[in-house]
Amino acid sequence: MKAQTRRQWIVTHEWMVKPMRQKEWISGKGVLVWLAEVFSALGMGTYLVGLLAGVGEITTWAWWATVLGWALIVAFKLPLHLIYLGRPLRFWRAIPPFTKAWKTSWLARGMFFSIVFTGTGFLQIVFWYFLHWGDLSASAADTLTVLSWIVGVVAGVFILLTGVYCGFAMSYCKSLPFWNTGLLPVVFVIMGIADGLALTMGVNLITGGSDADIGSLEFWSRILLVVNALLIAGYLVRAYRKHSAAELAAQDLIKGSTAWVFWILLVILGIVTPLVISLITMVMSGNTEPLLIVAIVCHTIGAFALKYSVLKVGIYRSVLPGVG
Amino acid sequence: MRWGMVINLAKCMRCHACVAACRIEHFLPMDITWVKLIAYEADEGGVVDVSTYPVRCNQCADAPCVHACPTEASHQREDGIVVIDSDKCIGCRYCVVACPYQNRTFFSKGKDPGYFPGYKRTKFEEKGKKLYPHQRGTTEKCNFCVERVDAGMELGYRPGIDRDATPACVNTCQARALTFGDLDDPDSNVSRLIRDRKGFQLRAEYGTDPSVYYIDYRLGGAPSNKAPREAQTGSHIQHLSSVDRDAHRRIFGREPGDTEVTS
Repeated sequence: MKAQTRRQWIVTHEWMVKPMRQKEWISGKGVLVWLAEVFSALGMGTYLVGLLAGVGEITTWAWWATVLGWALIVAFKLPLHLIYLGRPLRFWRAIPPFTKAWKTSWLARGMFFSIVFTGTGFLQIVFWYFLHWGDLSASAADTLTVLSWIVGVVAGVFILLTGVYCGFAMSYCKSLPFWNTGLLPVVFVIMGIADGLALTMGVNLITGGSDADIGSLEFWSRILLVVNALLIAGYLVRAYRKHSAAELAAQDLIKGSTAWVFWILLVILGIVTPLVISLITMVMSGNTEPLLIVAIVCHTIGAFALKYSVLKVGIYRSVLPGVG
Repeated sequence: MRWGMVINLAKCMRCHACVAACRIEHFLPMDITWVKLIAYEADEGGVVDVSTYPVRCNQCADAPCVHACPTEASHQREDGIVVIDSDKCIGCRYCVVACPYQNRTFFSKGKDPGYFPGYKRTKFEEKGKKLYPHQRGTTEKCNFCVERVDAGMELGYRPGIDRDATPACVNTCQARALTFGDLDDPDSNVSRLIRDRKGFQLRAEYGTDPSVYYIDYRLGGAPSNKAPREAQTGSHIQHLSSVDRDAHRRIFGREPGDTEVTS
């Protein structure tokens, strides 16, 4: 009986006649894509924040932030993507020079960005380690500083590209009007950096960073949260105006089956709570660590919720003209 | 040269023969179908009518799946047919997501339960696995029976005219609703049909330029969408009566009017 119900070629009354959700990247094994994309954003944000924080003077927490960001990409994002593949052992076929698809394919580009970042990011972490803790001669330190700058810039550019490519890969899909906008990569990157700031705050707390550093991280986090709230609002308004399928997706997000993820996990926990906490800690004196920990957890939940909700409400247009 | 197909919606009688022919031609696993019939329900004045529309990979000239593929496993041949090299496909499913027509299927383990789940595979299935091995973990779609087209052309046959170089679904369609031919040739059967009968593509606004055209009934919204079954059957009978004696013998093994010999 179960096999009978799977025979889609006989019962096709819904298939592509009505707007339908995409499932490949969110249902079943597709959950791995969602998780990989979340770690991609978190890794990008954490690494970038750590890198920028250590530009002037390499601090212990900045170094650990880059390590955490790099590890999130290498130990979580890439393996999850590999596990998702139907033929994981052939992954090398997506990497230049084994393919020329990077000219058009965002996945091939993403694979390339991730691999370049893996190498240069590792070198930067090693160089920073020796610069911070190593007992180097003046000339060796100078040489290593120059080298760390070079690999740092390359790693910084490529981690940004690693964080942004998944947004472009999704926005490329014309058949999914909710995704098909240049605003999507921007939302993903801004949210990723905001979440990275939160994780870096966590690193700062663990490694005993200064209150001034935490204050600075909170300041930027506050700004990015407000920017992202406005971007998400703009995104939804655009969806309502763009196309009926995009409108349907936005409605699903706001009042449909995905609404609890959007409102509770993303808006309330992911954006409003960290914003309120950061405002409270601005005026509060004394021990703010418990509040900061709550903000970091909420931020991270928001990162998971953002990618989930966007992937979940990817709705295809009908293939029949005049039917939505 | 660019191979294309014209589907006459007035002639299609919803027999699913194209679906079955494709399944047999390519030994498709149980839950994979390259050719599908979309069933569209329209309610007008309390009368619900169901129309079906045959769909398959549109072999788009500007195919999003080809652009999306990270390994070049999905590529376009010079004759316009979009094919998948299963040995190169890594199973990322980006093409499945990117295809605006949703005509690609990922071949996962669950999609091959066997024709009789729980039982040993039949000899037909075993043979099929050797003749047309489908690779699990890769993406599949209609390829306009590229192997038939190539093999037939090597022997001097003309696709769309000679059966041996024509896709299985076109050969099998008993209502002759499917026509195959060269879209670049203005005098080909498909070009003439598109020109004379105002052929249209699905979702042309995507700019993908599909090679599959539809004629005679507009899809979606238009009153003519609901081609009554009687009208379709009528056009089928009309078509069969217009088939010449040679073609009739070729198709049915005997000429019209001959008494069927039964033992």
